[in-house]
Amino acid sequence: MATFLVDGQRVETRAGDNLLVAMLRTGIHPTGGGCLCMGGDCPNCLVTVDGVAYTRSCQVPARDGMVVQRDHLGGEEPALLPDEPGSPLRGIALHAGEDAGAPSVQRDAASRASAKGPAPVQHVHCDTVVIGQGDSGREAAREAKEVGLNVVTLDARDGQHVTGVYPGPLVVASDQAGHVLHVHPRREIVVATGAAEIQPVVPGSDLEGLVTARGATELVAAGIDLGRAVAVGERPAGLPPDSLVAHFPVGEGGWELVRFEGDGRIEAVVLRRHGDADAAEERIECDTAVVSLGRSPRNALARMASDLPVRIVGGAAMEPELPACPPEGTVCPCSGVTVADLDGVWERGFHEMELLKRATLAGTGTCQGGVCLPYLRSFLLERGGRLQPAFTARPLNRQLTVRELAAGAHTAVTARSPLHDEHLSLGARMDRAGGWWRPWTYGRKDDEYRSARERVSLGDVSSLGKTAISGPDAEAFLERIVPTRVATIRPGRCRYVLMLDERGYLLDDGILCREVSAGAGSGELLDDGMLCREADKGTGDRFFLTSTSGGSGFFELWLRDWAEAFGCDVRILNQTASLAAINVTGPEAARLLARAGARELPAFGRHRRVHVAGVDCRALRLSFTGELSYELHHPAADARRLWRRLLAAGGGFNVQPHGLETLLRLRLDKGHIVIGQDTDYDSTPRRLAHEWAVNLDKGDFVGRQAVLRTNRQPLDKRLATLRVNDPPAPDAGGPSAEGAAIHDEQGYAGYVTSDAGTAAGGGTPMLGWLYLDPEGNLPREVTVDGRPARRVDGPTYDPEGERARIAVDTASESPENVRDFPAVQPAATDLAGEGPSGPPRLRRLEATRVSATPAALDALVAEPPWPAGALAFRTAPDELLVTATPDFEVAGDPHAIVERETAFSYVWLDEATAKRFLDRECEWRRPEARPALAQGEVAGIPAKLWFEAGRALILTPAPFAAAFQRRLAGSLGETGEATP
Amino acid sequence: MNEFVERQMKLTWRPPKKSYDVVIVGAGGHGLATAYYLATRHRITNVAVFERGYIGGGNSGRNTTIIRANYGIPAAVRFYQRSVDLYRGLEQETDRWLMHQQKGILWMAHSEAAVRTERMRAKLNTEFGAQTQFIGPRQVQELCPQLDMSGGGRWPVLGASYHPQGATARHDRVVWALAEGAMERGAHVHQNTPVEGLILDGERVAGVRTAAGDVAAGAVVSAVGGHVSRIAAMAGLRLPIRTHRLQAFVTNHYRQQFGPIVASSELFFYASQTARGEMLLGAEIDPQPSFSYRSSHDFVQDVCRRALCLLPFMGNLRVLRQWTGVCDMSPDYSPIMGRTGVDGFYLTTGWGTWGFKAIPAGGEQMAELIATGEVPELIAPFGLDRFARDRTMADRGSAGTH
Repeated sequence: MATFLVDGQRVETRAGDNLLVAMLRTGIHPTGGGCLCMGGDCPNCLVTVDGVAYTRSCQVPARDGMVVQRDHLGGEEPALLPDEPGSPLRGIALHAGEDAGAPSVQRDAASRASAKGPAPVQHVHCDTVVIGQGDSGREAAREAKEVGLNVVTLDARDGQHVTGVYPGPLVVASDQAGHVLHVHPRREIVVATGAAEIQPVVPGSDLEGLVTARGATELVAAGIDLGRAVAVGERPAGLPPDSLVAHFPVGEGGWELVRFEGDGRIEAVVLRRHGDADAAEERIECDTAVVSLGRSPRNALARMASDLPVRIVGGAAMEPELPACPPEGTVCPCSGVTVADLDGVWERGFHEMELLKRATLAGTGTCQGGVCLPYLRSFLLERGGRLQPAFTARPLNRQLTVRELAAGAHTAVTARSPLHDEHLSLGARMDRAGGWWRPWTYGRKDDEYRSARERVSLGDVSSLGKTAISGPDAEAFLERIVPTRVATIRPGRCRYVLMLDERGYLLDDGILCREVSAGAGSGELLDDGMLCREADKGTGDRFFLTSTSGGSGFFELWLRDWAEAFGCDVRILNQTASLAAINVTGPEAARLLARAGARELPAFGRHRRVHVAGVDCRALRLSFTGELSYELHHPAADARRLWRRLLAAGGGFNVQPHGLETLLRLRLDKGHIVIGQDTDYDSTPRRLAHEWAVNLDKGDFVGRQAVLRTNRQPLDKRLATLRVNDPPAPDAGGPSAEGAAIHDEQGYAGYVTSDAGTAAGGGTPMLGWLYLDPEGNLPREVTVDGRPARRVDGPTYDPEGERARIAVDTASESPENVRDFPAVQPAATDLAGEGPSGPPRLRRLEATRVSATPAALDALVAEPPWPAGALAFRTAPDELLVTATPDFEVAGDPHAIVERETAFSYVWLDEATAKRFLDRECEWRRPEARPALAQGEVAGIPAKLWFEAGRALILTPAPFAAAFQRRLAGSLGETGEATP
Repeated sequence: MNEFVERQMKLTWRPPKKSYDVVIVGAGGHGLATAYYLATRHRITNVAVFERGYIGGGNSGRNTTIIRANYGIPAAVRFYQRSVDLYRGLEQETDRWLMHQQKGILWMAHSEAAVRTERMRAKLNTEFGAQTQFIGPRQVQELCPQLDMSGGGRWPVLGASYHPQGATARHDRVVWALAEGAMERGAHVHQNTPVEGLILDGERVAGVRTAAGDVAAGAVVSAVGGHVSRIAAMAGLRLPIRTHRLQAFVTNHYRQQFGPIVASSELFFYASQTARGEMLLGAEIDPQPSFSYRSSHDFVQDVCRRALCLLPFMGNLRVLRQWTGVCDMSPDYSPIMGRTGVDGFYLTTGWGTWGFKAIPAGGEQMAELIATGEVPELIAPFGLDRFARDRTMADRGSAGTH
């Protein structure tokens, strides 16, 4: 027995009742009246359940503690006070959250804290899914099972309401267990949803006391007394003969339904002899009208999936019967459309099915045409003499809530630098930028700025894209990728490079370094790169290329696509997450590094491997800030150690980290552009004043043809540096002039793309687009927001670049200040020796990643040089991840890239836990073989899955590990994603 | 009784003639608006609009009905502001209830980069005649009390650009009012009459081949959506257009008033409330080019998830209906309007995800071009030749959605 509330009234009912039956048993009728179909086809039994409006009460089991409102719009209801003595709610554990029946915006606001995330999802893979378990559905399922197919059946009577059949193929259904089912059939979808009974639409069809034959049968079976029942149409086969007081067949030789009469509830049925408009009306008094006017196939699921492997069987496959459209009555109860409305729009020229629907809104409500569609078709046939097809079947067939539909979805995950927690502990405000959490400011932005300009500062640039490129064609490949001449970048040198798209517009920029070591994969640290030039000969080239934070995933694909297109023999290894990067910038940068134990530092425009604070770094010396700068790229696992030791060693210099906000200001002093901020989809190198970075004489590269073509067009605008002396006006709408129009004497002359908004005055630099005047000249004197501004030809800060290029002597640092740190010695993770234990926690993996030719990797795996017990995962034909240290060579490929890899986090799950988690969070079909490697998105995050007998390993990129951990915990709990 | 049943418009269908001064291909908003403005502004009524299905059955009937001018480049701000202004007067001009409602649009920022973008948008809009201002979280909350300003703890609202003239109108009614206005002045509209080819007279386009026979024309205008590449090919043109799906959905009636249109370009969705009280949600185009009208589950799934971050009240609303349109995307995310280099053949295309809001201005300007032979200043930057001339209308700030 269930106890629940309807409009505050306590209702007790029998187990097994659906909500509609339970209400009717208590004498409570849904609002609005209308013929009850008991099959989910009409909108006449809608109520609000636990705050969810538009719920079909005939499709919901009556459950203990339900809070039901008869108002299906979810209107206001009196405040519920379950603890008060005498309250009808006492003793009932209510389902509704604080949100139930909340009448006001304020209540909504109050309920936000308890707002639920998406519902949990359950992924089910099968050969065949059969929707509907009536006779034909059971038969279809039996046949499929007999030939050995894996069959999933869904049935509304089990609470499985199919909302749509989608490309995939994917069948989405609700489930009584509170899950949302995503069924992925490989072979076939069988639609066996049967047929609906055609509803009456004559005057009075919105009275209470009308029920279809099927509905009547169910109600009588449930023991509900229909009173004096009159059948109209077919004799209901399922009813005992003595339950009817009269029966009137309709159609040829029978009767015609004219109207129902009554005041709120039916009192009489009015009929007359069929085909005779002048015949006298017969009025038959009754308590219930059982209406059976024909059947209409429930084929919407098949119609919305016409290009998928769908088979339709049984009643759902029948030809629809077309009832005559009565001269008056409500055709569409969802939208309240009458036959008179149809007549009106027909008379005004709306003759197409879709126009009739759109002009009246018939068929756009909850039942999606379940009631009106047969009548709309017969109406159009009668008026226009042409049988028009049904209007488009669109999802959703059965309406799930936003919360249910979100099941299985996650918002885009934002990557975390290995230094994320360090920034937080330093009080940083983190901000999303380019898909990463970056420290925006540590709360002292002027000091952050001064620290870089006057002393030394640290910046976390781990989010930079980083790619290692090697192979016999590496140089030739890069010549075709970047517009600069790669051949002149000598080993140990680095250069700022642009990357253009095929239209000649700037796609990205970065730093290209040529390695000093040809001992690809040796892992050997060389003391002086310049001596290794000879060693490069004969083994080809190796490069390291950085790119901006935003698009490193895209960037890798872009490089691989071009390598494929050009037929270049190269290895490409994306090390974006593998390497952290710290920019040490400021006049004292070299001294700080010397104190942290760095012996040899690269000169300007060079890079080299160097130990800093015991950490193996690639130090790269160019400058984005305008100061002496070393960008230290190092294994992600060592980032915290390096960061902390640098901060400690810099105590004497009052070293401060700087956030992204300060970095954007520092670079603006130098006029350096930021992709996406100062560039747009028409930014050619010429418009950006970056012709110096493009060499048109060196042979073809991506974008060269477009650059040649666009260079022939007259220049229209150019990115320029402006110097502004006055601070912004108080009414300028903020300190930054970004977006502000630039005017010259002729009027509009462009707009500002970058302004640090320091309000400093006294020569504040800005970047902005300036249009050329009709004579082809750039304006010199302009105004920005009314402030006088002058275009300048170079950077406003250190125009000669002396500060960045300054010669340094690390040996001058007095020895007592220098601290030596032992070199970090990685030890590979013993994955095989570990297993699932305790609550699942992700940990960082210490391993090695190899990029080499497929044949070389085949040979390597066949005779592994690493210790027994190490696990090797072939993650791509040309890539391998192995839990060993990178102290081996790839015999079959001298160009192989072998690098220490700490960019993954891992967790072992026992088989049952893995299944529970992956059934929810892994949409794709998992391999059945053991052992097996699979890769794809899990919980919205890229993952590698390794299945062994009895357990499974999950690997995920370390920048996503925190998010993965949260989603893992949330999913293994009973709720959806946990909220922090 | 349903107050939304159409009770005013009168559509008059006439049999096709053998020849017209102007033939327009495609009876969607842009085709019908061109006919409407030819008739009302230039008294050119010997005009036929051919439609392969029913009027407004393409993207004009599959969009999210948003009208706004808060674009990111001067030429676009001017053009769409003209459209906003024309829409504001269209009910009065046609004497028809188009359910035009000015609601304001909030474009929310959850990061410093987005704050910067929205501040820039506000400044640029103001400079070129569209009212947009940047507002802080407190004002955002006042305008839209239902917003969870913490963004579910992860997507806090740091501010928004607010464009008070942002509006919606019932898409079908706009189409019908323009059709009616053109028809009652003598223009013909022919439904279920696909154009199957162009009639060429030497280098010149001189008419169309239709399912109902050949029709001569002084000028042919393609206002086709979705398959424009095919009709352009008939004139020997190759267009820089790719067609992508764009999806949307509505929920059941939400019992409270949801005032403004809200958008988030970081969470990739936008929401507004229809006159019937439904919540209407849309997002970005599908990345994969396609002509399919099929709706997908991953779309509704992801948009529901993202919308819950900011609008948690929607969790209990049921999604009623999904639909899909196809968008002709140009490389620079701006429309292509005007001459084509082929005599007698005009194009209005590249309407991407911004076609509905441009209907009146697009029609008005195309009509002026055809009637006067001069390219109006407002659409001069949007010519097809801009790609060859390296004068693309790059609008990064507005790309992608609605």
